[in-house]
Amino acid sequence: MDQTRSAHLMKPEDLLQRLSPTRNQKCTVGCPVLDRLLGGGVPCNSITELVAESGCGKTQISLQLLLSAQLPTALGGLSASSLYLYSESPFPLRRLHQLSSSFPTLRNPLDKVLTHPLHSAHHLFDVLSQIDSLLSFRESSSSPPIKLIVIDSVAALFRFEFENNPRDLKQRSGLFFRISSKLKEQARRFGLAVVVINQVVDVIDDSDGFRIGNSTCLYTSERKVCAALGLSWANCVNTRLFLSRHEERIAQEVGDDCFTTQTRRFIRVAFAPHLPDSYCEFVITRERVFGLES
Amino acid sequence: MEVSSLPISASVRAKLISAGYTSLSSLFSVSHSDIARDLKISENEVLEILRVASQRRGSESSNGTSSIVNGAQSAWEMLNEEESLGRITTSCSELDDILGGGISCKEVTEIGGVPGIGKTQLGIQLAVNVQIPMDYGGLQGKAIYIDTEGSFMVERALQIADACLEDMREYHGFLKRDLQACQVNMQPKDFLENIFYFRVCSYTEQIAVVNYLEKFISEHKDVKVVIIDSITFHFRQDFDDMALRTRLLGGMALKLMKLAKKFALPVILLNQVTTKYTEGQYQLTLALGDSWSHACTNRVILYWNGNERYAYIDKSPSVRSAAAPYSVTGRGIRSSVSNCKRVKMM
Repeated sequence: MDQTRSAHLMKPEDLLQRLSPTRNQKCTVGCPVLDRLLGGGVPCNSITELVAESGCGKTQISLQLLLSAQLPTALGGLSASSLYLYSESPFPLRRLHQLSSSFPTLRNPLDKVLTHPLHSAHHLFDVLSQIDSLLSFRESSSSPPIKLIVIDSVAALFRFEFENNPRDLKQRSGLFFRISSKLKEQARRFGLAVVVINQVVDVIDDSDGFRIGNSTCLYTSERKVCAALGLSWANCVNTRLFLSRHEERIAQEVGDDCFTTQTRRFIRVAFAPHLPDSYCEFVITRERVFGLES
Repeated sequence: MEVSSLPISASVRAKLISAGYTSLSSLFSVSHSDIARDLKISENEVLEILRVASQRRGSESSNGTSSIVNGAQSAWEMLNEEESLGRITTSCSELDDILGGGISCKEVTEIGGVPGIGKTQLGIQLAVNVQIPMDYGGLQGKAIYIDTEGSFMVERALQIADACLEDMREYHGFLKRDLQACQVNMQPKDFLENIFYFRVCSYTEQIAVVNYLEKFISEHKDVKVVIIDSITFHFRQDFDDMALRTRLLGGMALKLMKLAKKFALPVILLNQVTTKYTEGQYQLTLALGDSWSHACTNRVILYWNGNERYAYIDKSPSVRSAAAPYSVTGRGIRSSVSNCKRVKMM
């Protein structure tokens, strides 16, 4: 540890400074209702996890976040660029472009979204180790600094690389903590908001002792699920948000036997150091993602 | 040792006390001719008093009040000291009860549980409650908060401080005391100022800060609690050398215990839980393994029981193991039992 770092470390941080209005500590999601649920938005210096089955809107919300992060701080944004690390499908460029129409004030918003593909969990760690210079370099350059990192999805990275035996599981959880530690360090050093996306797995037995978060069990599409990657990974994130979807049949006015289904989506705080147990319904349209007043 | 307890005549005793010789040491600190002059008695009478006094002092010391080894304490003295040190309330009376009245000073207490059970909430609550003024039964101290996970949220600390102030004002009104000193003049922001916050991002930084604490507390004597949230996080990355990890953790535990003793303050270590495979099934257990479990004086496990949060005393030398419910509310940690009762009464 070099001298300056250690001198800085041994001085307690002035917590009152964090309250100053010039230092925006939250990034708006681009919708006042969702922001209210999150106490102002996605917090900086912190890891926020979105957990959901596919088709709930995890990627939709994070894409909108890539845009809202570019808003000036007066509008709740971070006036910053963002970095999108993706493992699953090809990068949803067309959808991002579509959503950007809801942000007419932004100039060339797609220029301020950096993307990078990921192949494996180890690759993610390597990428994180290499971006220090990118994060600090941009602080001095003319384009806005990176203040948001989205990882979509962390579950996919770990799914194939490790076997289900004690040795692999131990290695896997060691890597969880290494990645999380690196992300938290960067979040702290550069004031980043970090969003990681996780998937769900079905719950088969009814053991109650492993309950994590505000509800005994999570239901989505009439399935009982829990977050993937288990207890160790749950220790690696600061805030966990759970998204769920439910199909509802509504009768058509014409014809008795004719039903049409409607999808309702909910976002719920599973655990967070700063938020109470709360939830709200949200809607995904062509233009944007927004919450509904309850 | 008081002159008033000496087996001498009442008139001589009264003369001694009125002349200002109240303690035995004051008798031995001046010459006997001075005493004779002050009390207007003969030097022989003074010598007799001193003989009785020195006998008494001798017998007292052989009883063991003055210690054999410098720094050693008798159990009786320790008990007296412990009672005078006070405790930090958790703001949940059931939890305080099973802890023997709150978090006790001079001890290392480990608190663990699953994510979202309220470890950080309890940590912030204690960092606020340690600041409750003495007039309200608090320690009126400051807190050191070492954040290894980045979960300390200022907005949440303000909410909890606000509710704590509200409770104090209510209590003040209840007592109807109009003492100026008892007025609550604190602001929620004052609570933040009294939390020395260190954010550490690696295990080397964590060890460096823990090593630095002794110096820091010597310079800030009003620190009355040290909270580490969590002790575990940086030690769960894969250590190639597990023996090194055990040594580092052991060294840190010793340092923290020494701090608790030396400055008579409680050290709170928040821990994560992990699963352990025993007797054919997975069970929840506190992280960092068996050797670590000896590092703390007290261990408290937080867990879900149905829809209620519970705390369980897993290990303590002074209180019996017991469980109690608590709840995490907008105002901080609170009792959940009284809420139920209130609902039932209505």
